[in-house]
Amino acid sequence: MKEVAVPAAVWILFLSPAAAILAGLLLRAWRPRWTHWPILISCAAVTAAALSLAARVYGGDWGLDLPLGSWMAAGNWEITFGVRVDGIGAAVLAMVSFVGALIHLYASGYMREDPGFPRFMIVFHLFYLCMIGLLLSNNLAQLYLFWEGVGVASYFLIGFWTRKKPARDAALQAFLVNRVGDAGLLMAVLLLLAVFGHTRFQLMFEALPETASALIPLAAFFILWGAAAKSAQLPLYFWLPDSMEGPTPASALMHAATMVTAGIFLAARSWPLISAVPGLPALVAWVGAATAVFAGLLACTQSDLKRILAYSTVSHLGLMAFALGLGSVGVAVLHLVIHGFFKATLFLCAGNIAHGIHKSTAGVSEVGGLWKTMPLTAACFVLAAVSLAGIWPAAGFYSKDAVLHFALHGGAAFSAAGLLASFLGSFYIFRMLFLTFLGPRREQNAPPMHEPGGVMAGPAAVLAAGSLGVGWLSGSMERLLASGALSPPQAMALPPFSWEAFAAGSVPAALGVAAAWLLTTGLPSWDWDWRRNHPGLASSAASDFGFRRLAGLVPTGFMAAGGWFGRVWDKNVLDGLIEWSAEGAVLAARVGAALPAHGLNDYLWWVAAGAAVLLGAAVL
Amino acid sequence: MGWLTLLWLAPALGGFLVFAPGKGRAPRWVALAVSLGVLAYSFWLLAPYAPGEGGWGLEESGAPWLFGIQYHLAADGLSMVLCWLTAFLTVVCVLSSWEKEVPAGYWAAFLFLEAAVLGVFLARDLLVFYIFWEAVLLPMFFIIGVWGSDGRRKAAVKFFLFTFFGSLFLLLGILCLVTFHHAATGTWTWDMARLDGNSVPPSAAIWVLACLLIGFGVKVPLVPLHTWLPDAHTEAPAAGSVMLAGVLLKMGLYGIMRLGFGAFSDLTWQILPWLAALAAVNIIYGSVCAAVQDDLKRLIAYSSVAHLGFCVLGVLSRTPEGLAGGTLQMVNHGLTTGALFLLVGALYERGHKRGVGDFGDLVDRAPWLSVCFAISVLASIGVPGLNGFVGEFMCLAGITRVIPVFALAGAAGIVLSAAYSLPAYQRVFWGEPGPSSVSAKISDLGALDKAVLGVLLALMFWIGLCPGPLLAVIEPAAAALARAPSLGVQP
Repeated sequence: MKEVAVPAAVWILFLSPAAAILAGLLLRAWRPRWTHWPILISCAAVTAAALSLAARVYGGDWGLDLPLGSWMAAGNWEITFGVRVDGIGAAVLAMVSFVGALIHLYASGYMREDPGFPRFMIVFHLFYLCMIGLLLSNNLAQLYLFWEGVGVASYFLIGFWTRKKPARDAALQAFLVNRVGDAGLLMAVLLLLAVFGHTRFQLMFEALPETASALIPLAAFFILWGAAAKSAQLPLYFWLPDSMEGPTPASALMHAATMVTAGIFLAARSWPLISAVPGLPALVAWVGAATAVFAGLLACTQSDLKRILAYSTVSHLGLMAFALGLGSVGVAVLHLVIHGFFKATLFLCAGNIAHGIHKSTAGVSEVGGLWKTMPLTAACFVLAAVSLAGIWPAAGFYSKDAVLHFALHGGAAFSAAGLLASFLGSFYIFRMLFLTFLGPRREQNAPPMHEPGGVMAGPAAVLAAGSLGVGWLSGSMERLLASGALSPPQAMALPPFSWEAFAAGSVPAALGVAAAWLLTTGLPSWDWDWRRNHPGLASSAASDFGFRRLAGLVPTGFMAAGGWFGRVWDKNVLDGLIEWSAEGAVLAARVGAALPAHGLNDYLWWVAAGAAVLLGAAVL
Repeated sequence: MGWLTLLWLAPALGGFLVFAPGKGRAPRWVALAVSLGVLAYSFWLLAPYAPGEGGWGLEESGAPWLFGIQYHLAADGLSMVLCWLTAFLTVVCVLSSWEKEVPAGYWAAFLFLEAAVLGVFLARDLLVFYIFWEAVLLPMFFIIGVWGSDGRRKAAVKFFLFTFFGSLFLLLGILCLVTFHHAATGTWTWDMARLDGNSVPPSAAIWVLACLLIGFGVKVPLVPLHTWLPDAHTEAPAAGSVMLAGVLLKMGLYGIMRLGFGAFSDLTWQILPWLAALAAVNIIYGSVCAAVQDDLKRLIAYSSVAHLGFCVLGVLSRTPEGLAGGTLQMVNHGLTTGALFLLVGALYERGHKRGVGDFGDLVDRAPWLSVCFAISVLASIGVPGLNGFVGEFMCLAGITRVIPVFALAGAAGIVLSAAYSLPAYQRVFWGEPGPSSVSAKISDLGALDKAVLGVLLALMFWIGLCPGPLLAVIEPAAAALARAPSLGVQP
């Protein structure tokens, strides 16, 4: 805590999006088609401010952790609003603001013709604002505020096309699954508050060695629970693929920058708390490894472009959790940043294709041979795919290599998981690449495709360049993560280069490319044949190996319980008892009809008399 | 006659005044003037008073009467915010009914209701408290029974008899407290701040407490004493539902805070896990039932059962944050549920239906209506940044410090509240209109509705982001209740 004053850049990060949202709301009524202008300007301002903060952290021994004002207080605890800028925060913030700004630009082109354009841009920017607030929070309760803000904004974005039933269902599912996670995070906030009397990260970390409380391990577990839902880890991952029903820019923003990374960020931010609990890091590693492999397998079986990417995101989030669990916060954050670039590129490319056929997404059966008509999109896709597969010298290589380095030192099971995830990632993305851009166009009478305008092509190109190049900055990134006066530096180090990890990363990646090539061009109908020939396998894959059926039991059970309690028990038993006793009383009264009617009238008189007495007393 | 008396007497007299101008639109102007005047007066009177000993601010009492009965009013932070809520919601009710074709009696009923509720929150003598408590039933009975919808008669009688049944237990409990106190000390008092449950013989204590809990529990309502609420809400006019959920339910909780637990310090600590389990059942049961309701008003009614469960958890913790959170959550629930009932009322007024499946695709047709509804739902399900979160969070923070396990019930409630609210919101405002849809008739909110809801939404954001000023009013009283070994404060 070297600096006391809050730099202007921090204020810009909060106030510029807030002002842009207000301006957008006003413009919505007056000039709806201009709504995006204040928002794009705000994106530029936010990006500049975030980069300047990152440069400042990078440049010297500078960090910021300041309470700004009180939110709520009672008894002997207080929750404040505050900001924290440190190595992790600055690194993720820089990526999120930059990639997010480009996706905003893309969205302003992609959604231009939609009647809900102003509404979309405003909620989109709210999403961005909440993520920035989340990254800047210096305490867990404030982080929870923005965490839920991100969830709410994503709900309205996924369900943006309110007339599409799958979109509505996906929005609800996403919000509810995330709420299950939020409940966990809320528990963590409550428990930490009960232990410490506040939830400020820095003070909690400092007080941790002297605090012995059985609630802390519980709180750490609940933090991971929340992170697992937001970052789509097993078993709470299934909302993310379904959220593809939203408009593509929203998917891109969710996957690359503003939503799913929040869970990994939360775990990285709270790592001193989590790593202090024996067994929890191993749990994180296992869940991450299982998620990476499970979702990687499923990504290979998808036949919708955006769903392939969605499962790929789940798989990569698994890799980030894997790296975290193996003890390297630095590698996890590095992969988070690099993943943001290549995943955003891939989504923008998929969006360009879907936009070309005027749909919200495209199936692999509707595309093919697109490199001729969409060469720029194809080139961007290739760069991002190479990066995702972790092939040298693209950016993905650097972070994936580092993850593998730790996996190889983590025992046979973790090594196998790392290698398998690496192979699967390379396979599914090149399968998608080959099916989309090579071969014949599978739908014969489809409209001709063309490149989108510059507003949409430009951001994809810049992000593709990033997918290629940001890895070369990983040395600087390591320094950024470890600098800032507040970061615990020990877990930030990236592993040194080793040929062993290089081979472990490159060989499965190359095998994946080769396998994808063989199956898509050597056996062009393979992708359709195996579904026909093995319907059992196909339906198993379609239900995520049965997982979805299992998860579907929860809402069914809930509604069944509701139906029984709400319709049968409450009405017929609880209320029934009362109604029957009332009717019994009426019956009894009719039987003894001679009784005078001590009804409402008498009662009224008594109340009136009481009121008169009261008035008399008042006058006295 | 003192200043506090004027606070409840003014709306009561206003209720008679409404009849003076005769027919036409004049009565509603009188009602508006009176309710606005009472609101302004309540702030003018109560806001400047710094809490004194035990958190009490203003006090006013007449001479003791038979058996120590005394006309005794007092206000602490707890009373103050609930008085403000009552006065504010009365104005909201008057404005939201502005275009209704109703006789003067309608406006008078709301003013009488306001008077009685204010009396409940101001009374310190238990007999005075009980008289006001019962007086509340009358105007509400007429509001439901005369101006309600189709099943209004049955609902009104059920409301009346059910809550009256609870009141008898309350009266019994109060009488026991007073007589046992007399037996132990030789002095008669009905002062709720001086009655001490410790003078009740241990063998009788659990029964006296049970009487009080049944009496208050019907109003809260505590499961399984809640079945009057969905019927009453469904049949009441929109403004009636606003008052019912907004302030009438709060009377039960207010009573529990004043009497139920403080009086039985040791006993309530012993049976705390059971009571907390009851609150947890309220949360889960209310949510589960709400999820299957087809009528929007029934859904909100069951959601009130769940939300009040949070308040009970906070109050039970008897920590400053739990008591303050419980009080704040009473205000919050009044605002958000009030807004929701107004919006459902607006839908009903336009489409004459209020089923979850009777609408659809309103986002573009009625943007203000749908945005206001969405924000109110978000506030209701406890999204931070809006008011519901602050109250529920503080309640849960309180219980976490005492019995952490019950925070899980709250966390489950957070998930379930989304699970019953958002599907209903989606079905009404999103999607394609169904075959029975009346969406074509739904026009957007008028200017007056926009203004009323705008104020409600502004308050939701304000309390959500900056609850400090309200908490500052509540906290001394909450801290005093948390400290007190017996009721309120020792003389």
